[in-house]
Amino acid sequence: MSPAPRHGRGRYDVIVVGAGLSGSLIAKELGDKGWRVLVLEAGTGTLDGWPGHLDALDTFYGALAKVPNSPYRPNAAAPSPDVLDVTGLPAGGYRARGYFVQNGPLPYSTDYLRARGGTVLHWLGLTPRMHPEDFRTRRTYGYGRDWPLGYDDLEPHYRAAERALGVAGDAAEQAAAVGLPFPDGYVYPMHAIPRSYVDDVFAARLDGATVREAPGAPGTTLRVTGTPHARNSTPDRRYDGGRGYRPAGAAGLPNYGERCVGNASCVPICPVQAKYTPLKTQATWDRRRVRLLTHAVVGRVLADGNGRALGVEYQEYEDPAAPVATTRTAEADVVVLAAHAIENARLLLVSRLAGHSDQVGRNLMDHPVLLGWGLARHPVGPFRGPASTSGLESFRTGPARRERAPFRIEISNWGWGWPAGSPGSDVARLLGIGAGPAQPRAKGVFGARLRTALGEEIGRQVSVQFLMEQEAEERNRVTVDRRHPDRLGNPRPVITYDLSERVKRGMAAARSVSEEIFRLLGAEDRTAYEPGPLSPGYFRFEGRGFAFNGAGHGGGTHIMGASRGTSVVDAWQRCWDHPNLYAVGCGSMPSMGTSNPSLTMAALALRSSERIHRDLTEAHRPAAVGPLSPEPVGDGRTEGPA
Amino acid sequence: MSTLPPPPDALAGPAAVPARVEEPPFRVPRDRADLHVFLQAALTLEHLTIPPYLTAMYTLRPGTNRTAFYAIRAVVLEEMLHMTLVANLLNAVGGKPLVAHSRFVTGYPALLPYSRDRIPVALRHFGTAALDTFLYIERPEYVAEPPGHPSVAGDTGWTSIGQFYNTIRTGLVRLAEELGEAGLFNGDPRRQVGPEDFYNSGGEVFPVTGLASALKALRVITEQGEGVSRTVYNTDDQLFGEAREPAHYFRFDEIRRRRSYGPHDTPASGPTGPALDVSWEDAYPIDPEAKVTHYPPGSAVRRAAERFNAAYARLLWVLEAAFTRDPAVLQAAVPAMLQLRDLSVQLYRNPHPDPARRARGLYASATYEITEELLGEARRSLPGGPGTTALPSGTRW
Amino acid sequence: MTPKTSTPAPSLDDFLTASAALTGFDAFELHATGMAELYHDTAREQVGDAALGRLLDALAAAGGDPDGIADEIARDIARALAHTWYLGVWPQLAASVHTALGRQQANAAFTVSPEAYTEGLVWRTFHGHPAGAKPPGFGTWADPPPGAPAVARAGAGAPGLPGPRGGGA
Repeated sequence: MSPAPRHGRGRYDVIVVGAGLSGSLIAKELGDKGWRVLVLEAGTGTLDGWPGHLDALDTFYGALAKVPNSPYRPNAAAPSPDVLDVTGLPAGGYRARGYFVQNGPLPYSTDYLRARGGTVLHWLGLTPRMHPEDFRTRRTYGYGRDWPLGYDDLEPHYRAAERALGVAGDAAEQAAAVGLPFPDGYVYPMHAIPRSYVDDVFAARLDGATVREAPGAPGTTLRVTGTPHARNSTPDRRYDGGRGYRPAGAAGLPNYGERCVGNASCVPICPVQAKYTPLKTQATWDRRRVRLLTHAVVGRVLADGNGRALGVEYQEYEDPAAPVATTRTAEADVVVLAAHAIENARLLLVSRLAGHSDQVGRNLMDHPVLLGWGLARHPVGPFRGPASTSGLESFRTGPARRERAPFRIEISNWGWGWPAGSPGSDVARLLGIGAGPAQPRAKGVFGARLRTALGEEIGRQVSVQFLMEQEAEERNRVTVDRRHPDRLGNPRPVITYDLSERVKRGMAAARSVSEEIFRLLGAEDRTAYEPGPLSPGYFRFEGRGFAFNGAGHGGGTHIMGASRGTSVVDAWQRCWDHPNLYAVGCGSMPSMGTSNPSLTMAALALRSSERIHRDLTEAHRPAAVGPLSPEPVGDGRTEGPA
Repeated sequence: MSTLPPPPDALAGPAAVPARVEEPPFRVPRDRADLHVFLQAALTLEHLTIPPYLTAMYTLRPGTNRTAFYAIRAVVLEEMLHMTLVANLLNAVGGKPLVAHSRFVTGYPALLPYSRDRIPVALRHFGTAALDTFLYIERPEYVAEPPGHPSVAGDTGWTSIGQFYNTIRTGLVRLAEELGEAGLFNGDPRRQVGPEDFYNSGGEVFPVTGLASALKALRVITEQGEGVSRTVYNTDDQLFGEAREPAHYFRFDEIRRRRSYGPHDTPASGPTGPALDVSWEDAYPIDPEAKVTHYPPGSAVRRAAERFNAAYARLLWVLEAAFTRDPAVLQAAVPAMLQLRDLSVQLYRNPHPDPARRARGLYASATYEITEELLGEARRSLPGGPGTTALPSGTRW
Repeated sequence: MTPKTSTPAPSLDDFLTASAALTGFDAFELHATGMAELYHDTAREQVGDAALGRLLDALAAAGGDPDGIADEIARDIARALAHTWYLGVWPQLAASVHTALGRQQANAAFTVSPEAYTEGLVWRTFHGHPAGAKPPGFGTWADPPPGAPAVARAGAGAPGLPGPRGGGA
């Protein structure tokens, strides 16, 4: 019987910083292999139980702005950035407040969540794989940074991630329409999430049509293609050699959790937890070996003079509203930073580690999003189903990448929710209510006319989202500055961010494609980019105005590469300068292609856990776990016997 | 059992004569045809409790009594699981489930069948009377031996639901011996509803293909309801590798007593865990004998009540199609039920149109009345309706 | 709380009659939200019985047609009530109306209750449901909404699209 590790004093085999997607998967893998793992989560753990889940739902219902972080309560000890932190100025430009300090030409208006479960609590749940050519854009197209590994290296881990997250999709269609190689006969764990009526309307008008992204440019053929989701659908009997797949239910309420029932709120919260969250993985942790400590803000990674990570220093607090912290340390053979790209970079910078290449914090990326919106000719049933069930994949790959950023087009099922704040803004507008109380009010429409007008307008809303690849640029970066501390005295991230000309060229092409799409649909294009408070991402390019949004896909702050001189981590996400310090997550990605990155991040985490297991095995054997008394089921606090 | 509450007050009985559910003869099923009659009766029985449970769930005022909501919801889903397992049993032995028939829906109030006592089962709002009825339905009790056993030689009728299911079990085992297992389980395996059609609801559906799976199905049905003797908990951990939960009786008991069972509690100790936030006032009181004809013709409430019954008739067809033609159709059953949710809550929140009942604080309600005419109309509307577009191509109705 | 007078409180029935005229939803549909009492109370709290009565009177004087409300104070309260019914959110009043009413409370928008959001009428105008509540069930997003033409299922008939039973057994 091994002694129970004591947090604050004890030694662990592994310390994982962050109980989000990567951290939860790595803790699961290593705990199952017998290693003693301490997971330190800066945020609270209230979302783990069903009462916490219901509280988050109520908070979401009550929020005036239903932004991605709206269900999750603010935490002064572990603040999170919020998309509402950035507002546009009347003549262009932006103002930033909140957690980030921003000093770049354009705003970084993407958020994340510091809480047990992490940002993936409010993800949309789309899980497209990256395309093989996304891993080698430098070699193939002469821009960006290449990965030190390729699609083939990651392919088995993609499959493992698709199992761990419970992906529903159609592999044959992904192979045909996107060009993704799968092993023969591969099927996803679950059948594809049904496509929406919106998708069908798009497909009826767009499938097979050719559009040009600029006059004289070669034509591109459109095809509406279903998107894989980490969302419970119908299990596929053929999966896993005919063994099938059993979907994971909700965390926190036994025997609850069903197929997606179409709540249409994946971002920011799935009420029935049909969508994967890391809490589901945490529910399967071997609790004799994996110990979770929430309310533990890691402030520094400790290392010896030889570059060996010794452990971490963290601040433990109780009250997230008025935090008072006690500083403690924990030690382990391996330290894994899994705290989000920006937080990982911040920790490395504060700890003055992994700095040989001068790349820590640099190459900050996102998928800058351009929106297009219009009114269809007939009702399309918006605000139903997952936010997006299909996309147009033809602009993700190919030689056009030499000139402009590639992009993936998501067909939105949620009307003008993102571009215009519908349906709330529609109600206010028709009632004559303007931007604020001081603005003169129009007479307004009431009664049956109001009801009919809203039904006819909202019912026909369609929109498309263009997720642009953003290549790694050293100038886009996170730094720290002691003059900007948070409530616990930890330096806040300072963000310098801009879009390259190639991204802007991509947006110009996307805008043309957007116009073509609405023309083909026979829809009235209502897209308009104007400076103003709701358009902090407004800029002008080649004589036209554009406004972009953040996707919440932060990455690239501790990129992996083939050499110590030019990258922060190696192909295993292990810091070149510190053999037992891993920095995992989207921060490791040298390029993010046009795929929503969580699945790739999960695949990388699973791959790294294999390497960590080998590292540890070389050092010593896993501890045998005897018949320890397990902790009570559902005990979310998991405090050690310190 | 000492912890059993007395029969609910309501058992003194509403004025109306409760409907009677047809019971099979008091004997062990003798042949295949007999077994079909018993299993069809079991299907009817499993369905009987669903409308009263749904009524309690959806009469809650918005946002209140969440613990109770999720507890009742879990029970409803397990009842649907049971109903589906019974359909699998019936299909497995070559029978044909009957759902979309006015005989299948007894009308409420109905007398609880297979019971020694006269227990009316009515559509009641969330409250102590409803919970007392539920407790009575799900109560664990001494289960008499099947008919023919010396210990029940003096009995002329059923004394408990447990006895009824024991009798089916005995009949199944005997017939499997007489006809051979392959001979008895000669149904079309394509009729079997599988785990891909229904999961994560306190267990999952599994196909019934022989005696072992048939007996397992009977075990799920009886153990999730009443539990296993001398424990509060069901056996989901053993049956499905899932978290065990208090059996239905004890889940209802928790709400009724506003306190949860702890891990070491027993039926004798009663619940000694944390208090539960249950507010009896936060429900819309309804008339347990409401009929559509009580609402003025042409009124909004009348139209809504009729719309509800039409949607209910459609749900019965969806279930019948899933059980008799293509299990994939079951995918459309949840959308059909959620439509019932939307239509019924609108009724419960509207004051009763009758001034006298309104003065008593009563609200309108969904009546779950089924006629052959409604069923005919509903059938003609198929295969349309919520959730049907997304059914896999080639689904058979 | 705003004032002051001994104006008789507008009854729930009168409030609902006015609300039906303002929203285009009938009394059954308004009751069906379960929010009638809460909104009645909210309106009385936010503007006071006198101002609420003023709206009801102005509406009655206009023959129940909101377009006929001439008084800007009454009209802005009408906007607020319709906004609340449609979204569950009591909005900011026009600054001038806020001042004219001499309201004590801040002129701030707020969601009346979590359930008020989920009972918003706006979703019904296009046969939808509130985002995050009242889900209609798996695959319902594929159904054509009322008034929409049926279109071919995307991918229907494409090879390699078996039913849940693999080969479509």
